[in-house]
Amino acid sequence: MPLLAFDHVDATYGQARILHGVTFHVDPGERVAVLGRNGVGKTTIVNTLCGVADIQAGAIVLGGERHTSPRHYLAARSGIAIVLQGRGILPNLTIEENLLLGASVDRPGRWDLGAVYDLFPILGERRQSPGLGLSGGQQQMLAIGRALMANPNLLVLDEPSEGLAPVIIDELADLFRRLADEGTAIMLIEQNIGLIQRVASRYYVLSKGTVVESGDLAGMTTQQLQDHITI
Amino acid sequence: MLIQVLNGIAYGGLLYLLAVGLVLIFGLREIVNFAHGALFMLGSYIGFSIAAVFNFWLGLAGSLVAMTVIGIFLDAAVLRPLRKHDHMVTVLVTFGILLVLEAFATAVWGKSFRSMSAPDLLSGTVQIAGEPFPVYRLFVIGVSLCVAAGLTAWLRFSRVGLYVRASSVDPTTTAILGVDTDRLSLIVVGLGTGLAGLSGVVAAPLMALSPTMGNYILIESFIVVVVGGLGSFSGALAAALLIGQIHNFGAIYLPWASTMLPFLLMVGVLIWRPTGFAGKRT
Repeated sequence: MPLLAFDHVDATYGQARILHGVTFHVDPGERVAVLGRNGVGKTTIVNTLCGVADIQAGAIVLGGERHTSPRHYLAARSGIAIVLQGRGILPNLTIEENLLLGASVDRPGRWDLGAVYDLFPILGERRQSPGLGLSGGQQQMLAIGRALMANPNLLVLDEPSEGLAPVIIDELADLFRRLADEGTAIMLIEQNIGLIQRVASRYYVLSKGTVVESGDLAGMTTQQLQDHITI
Repeated sequence: MLIQVLNGIAYGGLLYLLAVGLVLIFGLREIVNFAHGALFMLGSYIGFSIAAVFNFWLGLAGSLVAMTVIGIFLDAAVLRPLRKHDHMVTVLVTFGILLVLEAFATAVWGKSFRSMSAPDLLSGTVQIAGEPFPVYRLFVIGVSLCVAAGLTAWLRFSRVGLYVRASSVDPTTTAILGVDTDRLSLIVVGLGTGLAGLSGVVAAPLMALSPTMGNYILIESFIVVVVGGLGSFSGALAAALLIGQIHNFGAIYLPWASTMLPFLLMVGVLIWRPTGFAGKRT
């Protein structure tokens, strides 16, 4: 049974229809990439999953249950942790409080404060500092650590490489592969070809709010990937 | 001078009790609750009616409980169903609730002013710096400080307090992380409304009860919220204490301008620091 599926989803912001019949799925332990140029609706997939965009047709399926009007917290409570584009660090909370917020779903598992601090020692060293006092890369560590605190089955990452130095992106790629090897499914919404190639094994291409292509990443050349995501 | 400062703290404390409810509700529901002054008034009348039969203390407790229940109902029946609508719709609905509650109070308790006495225990004066000071105003200061300390501890050290602080800045992200903001909202709106009721009863021996008694203090509470920084609990406390002093010293030294001074403060703060005392610069 898929951890997450979109079944012919049309999604809107107010009157603006962004997604048109989007269908995809992520199975347990999979590493799936969603590709597409800017403005094709990639982040709207995340927003639909979170109940920020409205579903007008179709449904999302979480753990076998269909939902047409998901509340914001439904995905997290279904074992899907989301690293938002822009990271969503709460500026009035310390690093540790941001992490504790991720544990609000009370799911058992290996990830707790100690495990996250082992993974990202800088977060432990600065645990009482405000989250926004970190560099961009460290903020991304915080956002990922916070998502892991939910002990998710599926980690959804929306443009995690945005604004980061290549060396940090390499570290993230290693981390995502390691998490996948440990059993956490990864859904990577991304435009960084190197990161996609190093992390994902399967892909969906989004164009004008519709999935136009899908398949195994092993069969795609870098140039083909480039063609899908170059503005 | 000390007596006047204490008077200012007492008024600022009352403003804080009312404003902190606005801050709580604004943070989670992202709406300006125009009904909050009417809820203050309703709490005052409920306390008045219970105290008339039993005593002040039962009136205080009864109003707190009744208004908390009303707040929970307000969230479940009004604010939650409106969450997907434009904020202006919700604001207009809260304004409508204000009018309904004022009409309800007029129908039940009449238009004429009512008064509520302080309990015997809190009557009379004490000597402070050689001058008499009403015991009841010390009680008001004590209640305000206890509520401020209790709220601060709750927000700082409890798990629910962490969720409230997070959602006061970004309720959507907080919910996406898994916090059930619907349940949290019941707690927050219930608590905020309960505090409005508490402040209504605490204020009752200091002011005449009438169906419109909440209007002026609500405006000053809005000023507290804006000056303190939208969504900021510590900012609201600082702003309430400052406006309490301005209100009090203004009435003594600039009586012709006293009602204007809080507005002038707000204008000045908005020019100097548009996000308020505790808001983040952008």
